Amino acid sequence: MATGRDVRDMLGLAEGAVSKPTAQPKRAAPPKPTAPVRRPQGVAREVAALYGERAPPVAIFEDTKGYRAKRTLGPAKKWVQERFTNGARSDGLVLRHWRRRDEWEVDVRKMKGEEGREINVDVKEEEKEADMPVVPRREFAKYNVEVDVPTFTDEEYEAHLRSESWSREETDYLLQLVKDYSYRWAVIWDRYDFKPSQSSSTQEEQATTDEVALRSLPFQQPTPRTIEDLKSRLYTISAKLMSLRLREMDSEQYQLYTLLSCFDPVTERNRKHLAAALMNRTLDEVKEEEFLLTELQRINMSALRLDAERAELRARLETPVVNTQAAAGINSFTSSAALHQLLTQLFHQERNKKRVPGANGPGQPNRLSISTGVDASGAGTPTQTMPPHLNSARRQSSISHAPGGGGASTPSSTSHLPNAPPRLLSTIDQARFNVSQHERLTSGVSFGTDRLLKMRQAKSNVQTQKIATSLQELGVPELIPVPTQKVAEVFEGLVGKVGRLLDVRKVREKEEGERRILEGMRKVRVGGAEKGEGEGEDGGEGGKRKRSESLGGREEEGVKKVRV
Amino acid sequence: MNTLSSSAAPTAGEYAGDEVSAIVLDPGYATTRAGFAGEDVPKSVCPTFYGYLDNQQPLFGENAVHNPLANLQIKNVWGSDGVVEDWDTASKLWEYAITSRLTGRKPGDPTKNGLNDGNKAEGENGQDMDVEMEDVENQEKPLEESPLLMTEPGWNPTKAREKTIEIAMEEYGVPAFYLQKTGVLAAFASGKASGIVIDVGASHTSVTPVLDGMVLKKGVQKSPLAGNFISSQIRLLFKNTTPEIPLTPHYLVKSKTPVDAGAPPQAVYREFPSGSAPHDSFRVFQEDRVLTEFKESVVEVWPGPQRFHQGPSEEIAKSQPGRPFEMPDGWNQVFTVDRYKAAEGLFDASAAQVDANNPRPKDEHTIPRLVQAAVQQVDADQRPMLLSNIVVTGASTLLYKFTERLQNEINQLYPSTRNKLVAPGSVVERKYAAWIGGSILASLGSFHQLWISKKEYEEHGSNIVEKRCR
Ligand SMILES: Nc1ncnc2c1ncn2[C@@H]1O[C@H](COP(=O)(O)OP(=O)(O)OP(=O)(O)O)[C@@H](O)[C@H]1O
Ligand SMILES: [Mg+2]
Repeated sequence: MATGRDVRDMLGLAEGAVSKPTAQPKRAAPPKPTAPVRRPQGVAREVAALYGERAPPVAIFEDTKGYRAKRTLGPAKKWVQERFTNGARSDGLVLRHWRRRDEWEVDVRKMKGEEGREINVDVKEEEKEADMPVVPRREFAKYNVEVDVPTFTDEEYEAHLRSESWSREETDYLLQLVKDYSYRWAVIWDRYDFKPSQSSSTQEEQATTDEVALRSLPFQQPTPRTIEDLKSRLYTISAKLMSLRLREMDSEQYQLYTLLSCFDPVTERNRKHLAAALMNRTLDEVKEEEFLLTELQRINMSALRLDAERAELRARLETPVVNTQAAAGINSFTSSAALHQLLTQLFHQERNKKRVPGANGPGQPNRLSISTGVDASGAGTPTQTMPPHLNSARRQSSISHAPGGGGASTPSSTSHLPNAPPRLLSTIDQARFNVSQHERLTSGVSFGTDRLLKMRQAKSNVQTQKIATSLQELGVPELIPVPTQKVAEVFEGLVGKVGRLLDVRKVREKEEGERRILEGMRKVRVGGAEKGEGEGEDGGEGGKRKRSESLGGREEEGVKKVRV
Repeated sequence: MNTLSSSAAPTAGEYAGDEVSAIVLDPGYATTRAGFAGEDVPKSVCPTFYGYLDNQQPLFGENAVHNPLANLQIKNVWGSDGVVEDWDTASKLWEYAITSRLTGRKPGDPTKNGLNDGNKAEGENGQDMDVEMEDVENQEKPLEESPLLMTEPGWNPTKAREKTIEIAMEEYGVPAFYLQKTGVLAAFASGKASGIVIDVGASHTSVTPVLDGMVLKKGVQKSPLAGNFISSQIRLLFKNTTPEIPLTPHYLVKSKTPVDAGAPPQAVYREFPSGSAPHDSFRVFQEDRVLTEFKESVVEVWPGPQRFHQGPSEEIAKSQPGRPFEMPDGWNQVFTVDRYKAAEGLFDASAAQVDANNPRPKDEHTIPRLVQAAVQQVDADQRPMLLSNIVVTGASTLLYKFTERLQNEINQLYPSTRNKLVAPGSVVERKYAAWIGGSILASLGSFHQLWISKKEYEEHGSNIVEKRCR
């Protein structure tokens, strides 16, 4: 970029000979301090002071800065009242409208130039309007759109298009209407008022050939045409003509052809009847339908929920899901997703390992802690007494070790073995000194009693109460005297089982209720055959009872085990 | 130049305005509206009623019809069936509506503008008219410059249409002419090409199904329950109140003193010496003026959803605050329940006020029944679409709560469709919808090709209007 100095150099001007550009000092001047303080005009100072720092919610514009149309310089442009014809008209109707004189002159010159005449468009103001040239204009001619209707010769009509119920005359009338109203069937039908001309019918009476007699037949009973009759007639004609005229059709044409030949006036009429009936429903019917629809939706929703609940319970009751990955060994890592999972697991293990030496550094809490009846963390070491899938808090650790090999005794011992803390107590000692190991410790102190109490709480009040009564039945005191870690674990297991038991009971009740409903329905459906029904009911109930008993039994066993 | 296909509609953004200074004329029973196409209000709105003195030219314009000349009769060019009856006067009236405000007359013709009529003695006036008649012969035809678009009711018979084009072409000498139905134009004014147009005017209520800018003729319904019917209902209400409510038009009151509500009026009335009083029809016309005021300020349509005589409606109405009205002679009253009764007959024939001269209206003439009949005549596929575009027009629909009631009635008839009323909020748009639609139509460039030109008229005769204005 050339600077001002370069330019001055080129022009041979001395340095500083040119006064500084005027814009510069302005720009350099400090911004006017008035800018932020500027008040909108027309507002009293006291009122403006009330605005405070924020702008008022209503925008106030200075009226001096309002919109002002751009002024073009020079004298006002002249306009003329052009006389013109519309290209869509054939009768040469001359209309007049206002146009800019310069544009108009261009058009007139062009027009006269084409005609090869001398160009002189200096029309004076005083000149008579009638002498103004008439300019043909075509910009609105494109709106003169006509539709295509099928056309045919007399021979074609005789050979292919004759119909029992349509005369040639009426067919022509229909085609004319279709053309006039551009396939707007509702309008065509509305205006359809075919009256056979008298002359043609007298002619045909004179004629004696069968053919003509057949043609004149429909004249005797003119039936009011429905909109479907009209459509059907035109579509059949179009389809026939298509098949006659087109040797081969492309797919689009063929589609059209099938569409045309598929038209069935009867179905169409039925459809319309239904549509009309749908519209003519009374308010009560509409309301009832609305009600039924919402009801149906509600039922569907609750059924879905019930199914989900049941499925969840079944899943809980069935044997724990075996770790398929571990069982399958290396074969399970065939898909890339599985491989990726494996990779991340290994990565996490690696990171855990690396973190351990850091844990011994200064400032890091030691992972060994002594719990003296006061358990500081919610997550204890996994115990064998509990199935792993029940305790979600422990799931994390169990997963992280899953691929590592099924036979790991305790997670902490495997993962921390290589960089184990300097002294490890034997398990017996650990039990003796009540030492436990934790993945993570929460800060602060909590009481074991609180923890036990928390276990008694369920999500709903009802459930909590039920758990309490069950525990009472089992003879568990409300306050457990020495809530050691071990006691807490056992108690947790116990409460879990009680919870499951309660769940089972609930579902059993639900299922029984459902069974009763189904029985009732069956009874209604079977109706007369009472004997068979009674037997069926007995059998059903018995089976059911047996199942639920066995379920209950299993639970009871579990509970007993825990108590022991 | 791009061409349009026959199957695709022009794009929405395509604006094809091109004004050719056409004149739009919308003759109604109460007023005749005229103005230039492209403007948004008719410049000229003059009463369709005209003054008539024996053996004289009819007197047009507000000044003439409200001036109590001796023996002045007030007449209307429309017949009771909603078709123009008095063609001679109609043609002069329309010409007056156009020339008095739009195209103007040649200077030096002050006799025709109506301003000087009242001051002259009868004899003089008569002479002037003769002179004028001679003038007319020499005069250019009044509308040779401008194409003319006229409106017509949906039921206009062929004969009337042919007569109209004859007047326009031969008497006015228009270069181009077109006739369009008020229903279509009212729909256009609301930006709709399809819909059901409910027009409650002065003499007739009409319901017109319109599809793509064309009237579905079988569906067109009309009934005499409109503005004039409401006026007669108010008269009956006044008569049946005890004591009877006096109805004195303005021209009979010289001066008045304020009185308490319900008290007899204390006014000085104007006396007409025998022979100098205007005709009875003048009084009726002037009374109707007061009644229109009453409609504007007091009458209210019971909004529904229940009818006025069903359930607790009447009780609720009683608890509503009343509306005061003062007659020209000072009599005044606060109207409470009664104000709901005047227009109830539009919707519920059994609720109409009746006496010996005013029999109970027919059930099928009520607006809900008209709508039902109109919809019934339309192809089932189009009905829901039409019901979602219900255009409300005509000055009588300005009655307070009219649209609410209409919406409720239609919702009750068709509970399962989406029924939407399109009722312009502005008074002008509601009153002059048909004219405004005509103004839009005649200022479109694409409309150039639809005009019936003088040449075409001369070639094909007046029947061309049937072929072209479909
Ligand atoms: N604000 C109003 N409220 C109620 N009614 C009114 C109001 N203004 C005018 N009217 C009534 O409306 C009627 C005139 O309506 P409008 O101008 O639509 O009729 P028109 O088009 O001249 O007649 P028609 O359509 O019957 O040929 C008169 O009867 C008048 O009393
Ligand atoms: Mg009208």
